[in-house]
Amino acid sequence: MTEPQTQGTEPLHVPLEGGKYVYCIIRSERQKEFGGIGIGGGQRVYTVHHNDLAAVVSDTPIVIYDPTRENVLAHEFVNETVMKEHTVIPMSFGTVFRSEDDVMELLRSTYQAFSEVLEKMQDKIEFGLKVLWDRDKVVASLEQDNEEIRRLKDEISRHTSTSTYFARMQLGRLVESSLEETSQSYVADIHEFLKSVAVASRSNKPIGDRMILNAAFLVDRAQEGAFDERVKEISRKYEDILTFKYSGPWPPYNFVNIKLKLERAD
Amino acid sequence: MGLLTNILFFPVTGPVAGIKWSLNKVLQVAEEELTDDTPIKQELMELQMQLELGDVDDEEYRRREAEIMARLREVRDWRERFGKSVPGGPVRVGRADDEA
Repeated sequence: MTEPQTQGTEPLHVPLEGGKYVYCIIRSERQKEFGGIGIGGGQRVYTVHHNDLAAVVSDTPIVIYDPTRENVLAHEFVNETVMKEHTVIPMSFGTVFRSEDDVMELLRSTYQAFSEVLEKMQDKIEFGLKVLWDRDKVVASLEQDNEEIRRLKDEISRHTSTSTYFARMQLGRLVESSLEETSQSYVADIHEFLKSVAVASRSNKPIGDRMILNAAFLVDRAQEGAFDERVKEISRKYEDILTFKYSGPWPPYNFVNIKLKLERAD
Repeated sequence: MGLLTNILFFPVTGPVAGIKWSLNKVLQVAEEELTDDTPIKQELMELQMQLELGDVDDEEYRRREAEIMARLREVRDWRERFGKSVPGGPVRVGRADDEA
């Protein structure tokens, strides 16, 4: 393929240097360096301070970053690195400030909220758990186990008259509602199983039609091993029917909700 | 006279008013559709998931990602044109005196 290589950024009308890409907020009074791992090709990642708060940033031209896999991974990799030693409040992807002064203004004006959330999130990490099923397999096992479904299928295969139309409709509805019930019982079981090792959980909208659970769990760092074990255990229990996609540790993206009053700066 | 006016003008005023109304409606719907990036983001997440599951390979992923990025940019352009907020790009803390 010969299409032009996209850089994953959209320059604004006058591309300017001197911008700061902000990854996360941490508590630190001392200047920190995290190496050349920043977005846009290995920029140096360092801290900008106000009192005991610090923003983890790298230099950037004033551009809009596309959420390409490459860019998103760079953003996440910095947060993962910082997380190893700090409790972090993650910023959303693509947050660019015009200058260091603007970043300091962010820390100054949101000092109280950042401090409180940092306290609450102290030593907490997030794990993602996505659970997918093979719908056809589940339908097949429903057909085996559910007497009513078996009876209807029988009836349909024995008759060819129009009366089977209603049997078909009934069957369709019954399969749908049994599927819904089954998926809900799996999800409830998984939540129940992990409850004791998590501080909190949140369910997001499933992605695609095979997913039955898209959840985030907030976990105490001290419980990381225990949580891991429980996830392995539950995925073994369901290994024939469900696929578990387990990821983390992440910064607590799903459990920090600070609405920043940010405005466009052109 | 009133009745006559109605009869005489009805075929004219009726449909014209209708067209005006539906044009406004169409414009409104168009604006909403042009400036809504949620379905595109949803698609990106699905694509990401497919890559993780091995349902698409790297090349296919890159091709479709480029397509999605182009559409996201289009939406961004439209949002700017309609004066809506644009995610990403330079920001600063809202000043207290800017608020009414």
